[in-house]
Amino acid sequence: MQRPIVKPVGTPVEEIDTPALLVDIERLDANASRLPARTRIEVWVHKTPAIAHRQAAGADAAGIAVRSIAEAEVFAAAGFDDIRVLRPLVTTTARKRAAALGKSVRLVLADDGVPLAGADALDGVVTVSSLVTSAPEPGRAILDCGQKAIGRDFGDPVIVCHEALRVSAGSAEHGVVGYPTDDAPLAIGDWLELKPADVATVFTLHDFAYAVREGALEAVWPISARGAF
Amino acid sequence: MKIGTAVRDLETPVALIDLDALEHNIGVIADHYRGKTIRLRPHGKNHKSPQILAMQIAAGGTVGGVCAAKVSEAEVFVNNGAGNVLVANQVVDADKIRRLAALAKRVDTTVAVDKEVQIERLAAGTRALDATLGIVIEIDTMMGRGGVRAIEHAVKLARQASATPHLRFRGVMSHQVPTRRQPDRSARFEEGGRYIERVIEAKRAIEDAGFPVDIVSTGESWTYDVAATYPDVTEIEGGTYIVMEVPYAYMTEFRYALRIMGRVVARPDQYTAIGDVPIDAIAAPNGLPTLEGVEGAAVSAIDHHGITLSSDTPLALGIGEPFFLLSHQQDVTVNRWERMLGVRGGFVETIIEAQARGCVN
Repeated sequence: MQRPIVKPVGTPVEEIDTPALLVDIERLDANASRLPARTRIEVWVHKTPAIAHRQAAGADAAGIAVRSIAEAEVFAAAGFDDIRVLRPLVTTTARKRAAALGKSVRLVLADDGVPLAGADALDGVVTVSSLVTSAPEPGRAILDCGQKAIGRDFGDPVIVCHEALRVSAGSAEHGVVGYPTDDAPLAIGDWLELKPADVATVFTLHDFAYAVREGALEAVWPISARGAF
Repeated sequence: MKIGTAVRDLETPVALIDLDALEHNIGVIADHYRGKTIRLRPHGKNHKSPQILAMQIAAGGTVGGVCAAKVSEAEVFVNNGAGNVLVANQVVDADKIRRLAALAKRVDTTVAVDKEVQIERLAAGTRALDATLGIVIEIDTMMGRGGVRAIEHAVKLARQASATPHLRFRGVMSHQVPTRRQPDRSARFEEGGRYIERVIEAKRAIEDAGFPVDIVSTGESWTYDVAATYPDVTEIEGGTYIVMEVPYAYMTEFRYALRIMGRVVARPDQYTAIGDVPIDAIAAPNGLPTLEGVEGAAVSAIDHHGITLSSDTPLALGIGEPFFLLSHQQDVTVNRWERMLGVRGGFVETIIEAQARGCVN
């Protein structure tokens, strides 16, 4: 499990141990308030009950949608009582788990006509923070955020406020940034925010999401359904 | 899930470790290094599991410790029995340096540098805790990532580290991957040897300047035997060999030990099957996973909802039937799983905990 250095609420975002999955609370709530009413929120994208509760409260949702029975169990334990499982259950064990869970929550195993929403409700909400750890030659900086912290299955990230710089998360443990050799936009110790190519991947890599408001840490949310494939 | 459960009855998706293959792979390096001075420094990033590290150390031929990519990963292995640790990376922030210094008070701990300012920051943190931290200079041989580009720069950093209280200069390190796909043995020895010789060149220049070197840490699984032919090399940072991956198939002495098992959940037509392995359960940054053992069929797509298996001829996989996938980048696949099931002869024998999963800090 991820083992970050724990910082108190109120800590400036730049001092949260890197790499960290950052959630902009104001944007999260704004996106939730724009979700259509009476839809199921696709919480498998973030796997985080605290985010799902904010989305459900903001959107007047009809329920949630998850991918697996294991994800359904996590969200049922977090208080959600109307859950659609998107993946067909093909084993006796999975069907028994569904039957057991169905005693305490409304479990929907087929398309019930309620539209799904929320796969894009995290647009502009999630970034991953990173530090520059080396600048070994002109035109190149190395970050502490690689594939294992931001993913690469759907492409490379973009650096917030440095959109023109080319960043590759091709290494598992490092990001590599390239820029013209006569320029030096980054130095060792600089703090950066990276926008991931795919948000759902980031939530499968981290165990904690750092909720930030106006540049300060407000809450640390466990990504409880991480790994419940 | 009970120990003794048949693999075919497991809930899916699930990460399986073939224990016979794992033990075989561990044995190959232990046998090769028996009677030699070179040692394996097992890379923890490739299995994330102190349980597997203990197997590597028990088999012999290792440094008795671990290589780690991150400070938090190093802590997990030291907390679970690693006798020494090399963090093969640069660490620059004060909080993490404190953690590194705290680790150095418990076991022999070394970290890599490639710039003067890193040494200054490490010195401040170790002084605060009255710790002594080992320093190796990272040499870039081909990755274009971290690492000094010029040997004179390596000498300069060795001089600075040697003169800094609370730091102990230890030597040099480098990481390399082959540029050729599926190189044969002579191509491996030629290319791997070229990179290793560059590291040795830096080591000798540092010694000539008057700074003794006791760690030359280089090579990876693909050069474990190449490195063993150079008496200057003290250890290799070996990781991929432990469970293997498809692009490493040219290392025929190692066997695939990691598989992701899934099940068919839908059959849209007779040539296509949909499986329950989402992309986040295996990762596919380096090409689609390889489907094993289904004649004529292959993975044609994967996304967050599942995987598509396609065949030119009618596919004989029914709904509910299991299938097995091989990773094209094993360390990012391992990093998706908190635990893997150790299997032998078709049954679950042990649960392999991967406590360092997610240790990206």
